[in-house]
Amino acid sequence: MSSFDIDVAIVGSGPSGIAAATALSQAGFKDIVVYEREADIGGIPRHTHHPSFGLRVFKRPMSGPKFIAALVRRCPDVRFETSTTITALRPGGVLELANATGLQTIRARHIILATGARETPRHGRLVPGLRPQGVITTGALQQFIYSAKLRPFERPVIVGTELVSFSALWTLRHAGIKPVAMIETGPRISAYRPATLLAKAMGVPIHYNTEITDISGIETLTQITTLTRGNKTAAIPCDGLIFSGCFTGENTIAAASHLCLNPSNRIPLVDQNWITSDSAVSVIGNATHPADMGDQCYLEGIKAGAYVAQLLAGNIAMDKAFAEIRHGDGIKMTTPSILRSDNFGDPLFDLSFHVTAPFKGTVCISHGEQVIYEEPRNCLPTRRITLRNIPFQAGHPIDLSLIGKSDVIA
Amino acid sequence: MPEARWDVIVIGGGVVGCAVTRRFALAGAKTLLLERGRDILSGASKANSAILHTGFDAPPGSLEVACMQAGYKEYLDIHARLNLPMLKTAALVVAWTEEQLAQLDGIVSKAHENGVDDARQISRKDLLSREDGLSKTALGAVEVPREYVIDPWSAPLAYLKQAVRAGAGYQFDTEIKSGAFDGEYWHLDTGQQRFSGRLVINCTGTNGDNIEHICRKPGFEIRPRKGQFLVYDKSASALINSIILPVPTATTKGVVLTKTIFGNLLLGPTAEEQQDRNVATVEREMLEGLIATGTEMLPGLAGHSVTATYAGLRPATQFKDYQISAEPGKNWIGVNGIRSTGLTAALGIAAFVEKLCSETYSDIADFRPAPIPDWPVMPVLAEHGKRAYQQGDGTEIVCHCERVTRGEIEAALDESDVPARSLGGLRRRTRVMMGRCNGFYCSARVAELTQGRISPPLAGHKKDQT
Repeated sequence: MSSFDIDVAIVGSGPSGIAAATALSQAGFKDIVVYEREADIGGIPRHTHHPSFGLRVFKRPMSGPKFIAALVRRCPDVRFETSTTITALRPGGVLELANATGLQTIRARHIILATGARETPRHGRLVPGLRPQGVITTGALQQFIYSAKLRPFERPVIVGTELVSFSALWTLRHAGIKPVAMIETGPRISAYRPATLLAKAMGVPIHYNTEITDISGIETLTQITTLTRGNKTAAIPCDGLIFSGCFTGENTIAAASHLCLNPSNRIPLVDQNWITSDSAVSVIGNATHPADMGDQCYLEGIKAGAYVAQLLAGNIAMDKAFAEIRHGDGIKMTTPSILRSDNFGDPLFDLSFHVTAPFKGTVCISHGEQVIYEEPRNCLPTRRITLRNIPFQAGHPIDLSLIGKSDVIA
Repeated sequence: MPEARWDVIVIGGGVVGCAVTRRFALAGAKTLLLERGRDILSGASKANSAILHTGFDAPPGSLEVACMQAGYKEYLDIHARLNLPMLKTAALVVAWTEEQLAQLDGIVSKAHENGVDDARQISRKDLLSREDGLSKTALGAVEVPREYVIDPWSAPLAYLKQAVRAGAGYQFDTEIKSGAFDGEYWHLDTGQQRFSGRLVINCTGTNGDNIEHICRKPGFEIRPRKGQFLVYDKSASALINSIILPVPTATTKGVVLTKTIFGNLLLGPTAEEQQDRNVATVEREMLEGLIATGTEMLPGLAGHSVTATYAGLRPATQFKDYQISAEPGKNWIGVNGIRSTGLTAALGIAAFVEKLCSETYSDIADFRPAPIPDWPVMPVLAEHGKRAYQQGDGTEIVCHCERVTRGEIEAALDESDVPARSLGGLRRRTRVMMGRCNGFYCSARVAELTQGRISPPLAGHKKDQT
């Protein structure tokens, strides 16, 4: 159709965006543009220099920038437009974009949002105290150290013990900055236990069952006050505070658009093929499941891109209607969040979810009264749990529930 | 070097100090503004609810309502020339209980007594049709059509910029510790530096009584009242149309829900008495309490994320009204007890102070002829305005959440009137790092762009500094 400027517009050039572009390119689509608001492509891996990428895609560990470079070599025909911000998504495949010359509008046959995730910073977590400089996130830290080559502080405290918290530790080690401590509200680290070895090797204590009760410093940070097990108060002098992890999807464009959102977390609804409530828009990658590893996002993007290629080739007849995947307490979000029937692919689907608190018990999926899946699982927050090959019936909502106790895994 | 001699020295660069400096500079006085912080708005003025009030609920006959209404009128007169934004939202004082519903009548009468003739009671049905996001437990409201939302930081900056263009001086990082009056001039001292001026105007807000002691025994004491606020992400702004005010109690105006000029939704403030005049912490329990209150009024808030939390100190005194007075024979005017209405009243207070000056000190007030005012044009920061990124200023967006371009950041650092010299100053001038990610995406880039330009720096502390 001549009224379309391009076939597919992909928003975001992280692993999932590059993957979708690659799949579409390999399917023969020429008119694909990946929009990136930063000056350089790559998303989060661009400033993540430890070798936590590539194992699944390239069967070897790679740094973030090397991973991205290798991915880009797989899609030589894809056009990237950097320093270009998408400011609005509208029905009919319309994107409003801003670059140095101002605003313009483009129309694409299909739009893929791959806008990624970011950490929840201090304010969003309602952390008490004053508001001095020196309070940042791991993402910002990585950019300070690797991109700007600047040292934001010398004696920081890391808040959180997710995988990314140890990435912060790694980044500090690279810069020769020794953190004072790591702080964890729970009784164990959120990442896999061996990660503590890095902290141990660097001589950084991890304070468990500990929360921040005060941040001090008028202009720059001077100390934090912590409370351990609800009764032990301690002052920790420091000049930096890194809020790590607690990822949230960067869904600003989707949330301000016509797309249907899950009202409880404001994440756009996506079906098992990453199609949203608007069949001309997909949302892929960490925007809907903050945050999985770069390799997982890449593999997801390949599948999602291949599906869009089939859709644009006219090989898929897709139901407009969709059924919800409802979930009970203790579950943060599911991917997909809706189910839709089509004449293509497997009637079985994979369901991923994240829990809000540690859980040990039975994970159960039901269609009304009928239980279609039941399995004992141990679930930890920040880890993706995937249930595979779940059957579904067109038009019927399904319920995901946890039967057992939360907060039981110590 | 001979010591500079000023006609007027204004102590305190809050919104009132900036407006007073502007007024005297435009009147032709050689005026100097001294501020102890690193930028204007380092104290009470940086944290408020950014509403341009009609004065509908102020005490009738008070100096406060007079200054608010004069300030309101002057803001309407001058804002377009300064390119200052205004969002004509109107306000709704919502009754949530039968008891509050019965008070609406009185609120309308008081508004009319204050000359706000268009305030009127509206029914529950009208209220809910105008504000369909409000909880259905709302019972009715008073509509105040001319309550508006403005930019609390660009307005005072514009006042000072205009003053500077009229010949005013200013100096930050300058805390006055003492002073002496020689019968003709005041000599104010920081311990390292001395400033001499014929007239001193004390606009120091939460430090007002301490500074007042330089001249006289203050007739009031500052009793700081802390207000904590939450700023919700821009997605929440569409949940309301008007400013949602509660029915005030004897002690507090209560928790307000309002759009900000930047397209966010603001919830607050709390009202807490405290001793400390300099620091205002946020506390989790209070913030969670605000969220509970806000979500009860506006159920759709649940699920929207919080972009920022902040707290401010209002320079309340034991008195309800402003405490503005001149000390005859001592060339001193104290402008104190400007509680939470300073943003609205500032221009009116400035006019009142100028009048007080000419009435009390006719010899000083004979300033040289006023220059023709030059009107600085403020950059567009309002969400509803045409922002730099939309116009295409030839540079890239640095702060993605607030869509701030490199050009805007460089302009705020490079401009000659009152450039940004601290991170707070840069944030308030451009919105950079004010968004939902709190600098996740842009703070390192901002550190690069501001290297050697702001203090304290965002990065690059030397190891021997602590």
